[in-house]
Amino acid sequence: MSSGRMAKRLVSLILLVAFVAALPMAAAAQTVRRGAWVDEVVAVEERDSAAAITRLEAGDIQVFASGLASPDLFRRVTASAVLGYERAYGLFTELTFNPAGPDLPDGRLNPFAVPALREAMNWLVDRDYIVKEIHGGLAAARYLPINTAFPDYARLADVARVLERRYAHDPARARQVFDAEMGKLGATRVGGKWQYKGKPVEITVLIRTEDERRQIGDYVAGLLEGLGFTVERRYATAAEASPLWYSGKPEEGKWHVYTGGWISTVISRDQAANFDYFYTKRGLPSPLWQAYKPAAEFDTVSERLGRREFASMDERKELFAKALELAMKDSVRVWLVERVSFYPRRQEVRLAADLAGGIAGAYLWPHTIRVGDQVGGTLRIAQPSMLTEPWNPIAGSNWIFDMMMIRATADYPTMFDPHTGLHWPQRLERAEVYIKQGLPVGRTLDWVSLTFVTENKVPESAWVDWDAKAQRFITVGEKHPQGLTANRKVVVRYPRELFREVRWHDGSLFSVADVVMSIIMTFDRAKEDSAIFDPAAKPAFDSFQRHFRGVRITSFDPLVIEYYSDLYYLDAEWNAFTAAWFAWPYYAQGPAPWQVMALGIFAERNKQLAFSSAQAKKLDVEWMNLIAGPSLRILSSQLGMALNQRYIPYEPTMRLFISRREALTRWLNLNRWYWNMGHFWVGNGPFFLEKVFPVEKVVQLRRFADFPDPADKWARFQAPLVASADVSGPARVTAGQAATFDVRVNHPLGAYAVRDMQEVKFLLFDARGELALQGPATAVRDGLWRVSLTGTQTGQLPAGATRLEVVVVPKLVSIPTFASLDVVVGK
Amino acid sequence: MAVAPPVAVPRVEAARAAGSTLARVAKYAVVRLVALLITVVVGVYLTILVANMGGYVDQLRRAQIREGVGLMALADPEWAMLTDQDRRERIERLVALEEERLGLGQPFLVRSFTYLANALTLNLGRAEQIMSDSGSRQVRLILLERLPATLYLFATGQLLLFFASIFVALHLSQRYGSFLDRLMVALAPTSAAPGWFYGIFLILIFAGLLRVLPFGGMVATPPPPDKLGYALSLLKHLILPVTAIVISAIFLQVYYWRTFFLIYSREDYVEMAKAKGLPSTLIERRYILRPTLPAIVTSFALTLIGLWTGAIVLETIFNWPGLGRLLYRAIGAYDTPVIVGSVVIYAYLLALTVFVLDILYAILDPRVRVEGRST
Repeated sequence: MSSGRMAKRLVSLILLVAFVAALPMAAAAQTVRRGAWVDEVVAVEERDSAAAITRLEAGDIQVFASGLASPDLFRRVTASAVLGYERAYGLFTELTFNPAGPDLPDGRLNPFAVPALREAMNWLVDRDYIVKEIHGGLAAARYLPINTAFPDYARLADVARVLERRYAHDPARARQVFDAEMGKLGATRVGGKWQYKGKPVEITVLIRTEDERRQIGDYVAGLLEGLGFTVERRYATAAEASPLWYSGKPEEGKWHVYTGGWISTVISRDQAANFDYFYTKRGLPSPLWQAYKPAAEFDTVSERLGRREFASMDERKELFAKALELAMKDSVRVWLVERVSFYPRRQEVRLAADLAGGIAGAYLWPHTIRVGDQVGGTLRIAQPSMLTEPWNPIAGSNWIFDMMMIRATADYPTMFDPHTGLHWPQRLERAEVYIKQGLPVGRTLDWVSLTFVTENKVPESAWVDWDAKAQRFITVGEKHPQGLTANRKVVVRYPRELFREVRWHDGSLFSVADVVMSIIMTFDRAKEDSAIFDPAAKPAFDSFQRHFRGVRITSFDPLVIEYYSDLYYLDAEWNAFTAAWFAWPYYAQGPAPWQVMALGIFAERNKQLAFSSAQAKKLDVEWMNLIAGPSLRILSSQLGMALNQRYIPYEPTMRLFISRREALTRWLNLNRWYWNMGHFWVGNGPFFLEKVFPVEKVVQLRRFADFPDPADKWARFQAPLVASADVSGPARVTAGQAATFDVRVNHPLGAYAVRDMQEVKFLLFDARGELALQGPATAVRDGLWRVSLTGTQTGQLPAGATRLEVVVVPKLVSIPTFASLDVVVGK
Repeated sequence: MAVAPPVAVPRVEAARAAGSTLARVAKYAVVRLVALLITVVVGVYLTILVANMGGYVDQLRRAQIREGVGLMALADPEWAMLTDQDRRERIERLVALEEERLGLGQPFLVRSFTYLANALTLNLGRAEQIMSDSGSRQVRLILLERLPATLYLFATGQLLLFFASIFVALHLSQRYGSFLDRLMVALAPTSAAPGWFYGIFLILIFAGLLRVLPFGGMVATPPPPDKLGYALSLLKHLILPVTAIVISAIFLQVYYWRTFFLIYSREDYVEMAKAKGLPSTLIERRYILRPTLPAIVTSFALTLIGLWTGAIVLETIFNWPGLGRLLYRAIGAYDTPVIVGSVVIYAYLLALTVFVLDILYAILDPRVRVEGRST
């Protein structure tokens, strides 16, 4: 064989090997699914929850995106072999008391003006009864003004548990307090009924009728009758009750107890302001709030917490502990239960649901929804209401079910963690947070850096305001020549691919002009000189301006944005997320490229449509709807003009970022989109809006093939890793001798890793029910922690039944887990 | 109206009488129209008063606005950082904006007459709370958008029910005491249950169990893109609700009409016709159906205008986007323009129907005449 032929063979062999080696890589590259797992989502309306479950069982729909609380339906779902569900914890119920009096102007007595009597209601109501009998187990007892599923409760679990034990159901104690305090007020018991100045003491319980609060109201009314009060049950819907409890004068005594309910659709990572809001006059300018008379100490502590007047998390915890204790003493609100909603779905459907917002409130649902391991296909979702209000990104529909669909069409710089409320980078690369020294900010995730600085000086070139007449930004140097500083500076860095890989649904490449447009829109509608000035935008803008200190684009490609503000959050991740979202074309109610915004602005400027409902009424035009109705005809006529002019909105500023050629491309893209799709909803999320059938109430979403991320990017959030804990150890401990207890901590997929655990701590309640000891457990290995008590520690315990409680606080979910073991301490 | 015996008159007198009759008819028509208009005005104004609880709804609205703004404040992370004064100002501004949007600045009494004037002139205006499905606040569009869906369902159901019951009843009236007649009488009490009651069972059987028909909605999801496919899908979705409408009323309707026809079929002239050996179809058509026509026409006309109201529960269980559900939503939201818009159209339709029926009676029934004063 000649050397030439040898060489040829060798080359052929190498090529063959290279080809064979490349085959699997190519195949792998082909099988990487981008964007959503399913090809199509069809959303339909189903108002009846029971019918929705029947349809789920029959396979007619795969998900019912409504939080249900009916125990009967829950039993149906859990009994079904084909159904599953997601849980959410964002609803809570309480008793609101009328604090006016005790002597009302008409001579009647209002016992609930006395804090001690309100406090005694905590002992009177049996929260476990409400949980089990009224909610059928679909609730958890709640004693305190913070949500037990959110991070503050986990941070304060030791304080919370002590208070929960202190205020546990004790009707005898409640009766004792009532007897004593009513006597002090001058009331007498005649024939088992309380009388005041010769007349029965009447209590009006204002009972909401829409949900389980009706039964709760009846239960509380029954308890009060049992104490000797003459009770009037006044049943009312939200609309009927509102003029009485919220707007009515408390001193008129038209009600004494109201069955209140509240909702939180996102995981609140900072509930410190709850005291200020729920217990003090500062909360709201309603007559009820103005009748609150918190103790001076409680008032001060509440205000400090509300205004974040603390220098460290330890100081915050101290204030929080005090506030919790004083809130229970005050008890203008007696918290009863946290309702657990369930979102039914077919067993085979997997998706990430939010612990507060459920499926409808989750940002990750479109990124994670999938039928088993299937790729592609159509998935049907039912919602109890749809297309309730017009869709427009500025001030369109804010209904949770409309927003669920809108979120599927949007992309974000960061993504909400559905289990902790923290944020993860979605489109941005990383962020640097600089906080003024002395402010209590912490960091959990490593995509964001946190640095404390003595001062954050705002550069003169940063934009701080907007001249609506000249249509240009006002810089810090112009507005504040003396200079400006900020509590917070955030540097948000985007990857180089941002302007090459990210596309809008109409095919346009994402550009810096979209970012600048979003910044302009923060200002323009709130400026009286603007052609689209909307008074409805001004209150929120004024609040924003109070803390906003500037924004600066320091690099266009890759995009780097600096953001300055005096408002800060406890989590570095939140400081970064709010800065990133500020300069991102996701507006209050949805995404939009600059050309769609320009079209809307055009229409409002010409007084043909209006972004907000209030402005539509004022101008006597239609509320802008980008997806259906009479708005489309108007917008399409604007589109023709914009296309002809190669229109650039806010030209004095935007022409720096858009060329005429780019403008033409954008308008052509939008024109093509409108003629293909029949609507103007252009997003950049994993799904695009394919069709809307407003009367039939059907929304069709189709997978956006150009979405840049792999489909499994957020797969780890498909199930919340709520911990389960089990304590084991000796049933009897001899005082003065050491004792150890094992705590096994698992999640649904296995042992909980030590690195994923925030802390495991123990509380030891002695035979008198007092908190005798507390401290951290030590990690042994993944899934196993140990509580070790020294001989000295056990020696301090009185003999008798003692309870060891363990609080497990994971990093991956905001819900802490509790476990306990009863131990007998012997001498 | 009175029944006057026909008499023969000379030509001049006949012409004079004709002129006099025309004048009497015109006068009668004007009086009837005025009476009907007054009825409509009173009816619509009462609706305005009832829908607004005599003005109490303003209080409810104001309270709800304040409560809503307060709740929004809780969700705002910046709220806690505002001063007392700022919070007050912000809430008051938001409340004022919303109150202005709903026109709460004007006293209810003044607004009630504006509502009335707008309604009577069919200037239906803008809804206050609810939107049309395609996102318009124009009451006209809100109502018109739901009209086709309502007509598809209720026109199909009610017309089927009406004509089927008439023809079955007519048939049974000639076969009094037959098995079928007795069966219909026995089944008549089943009509005590409303359509939605049967609807639930029909859904459970044909959608839940047999899975041959859809659970509800107007068309398949996603709706077929072509018109034929859409129409077929619509027909398929009509089967269960129309069946529910028909089953819930057919037996009672048949019973009612059959009893009605029986009375007429015992008249002497019918017996005479039978004795003459005239065919039964001729007897039914000429001797029974014709004298009962005014009642049938009245019933038919009222059935037609009844379509405007839809049926709240039936539409709800079948997820049918009809006017009934719309009106229910409007009542729940205290949306006066939508409620009044719906009512005034119904009132006009009813008044017009009654007026036209008066005229039709005279044409259809030779015994009906407008009474004259001179003899």
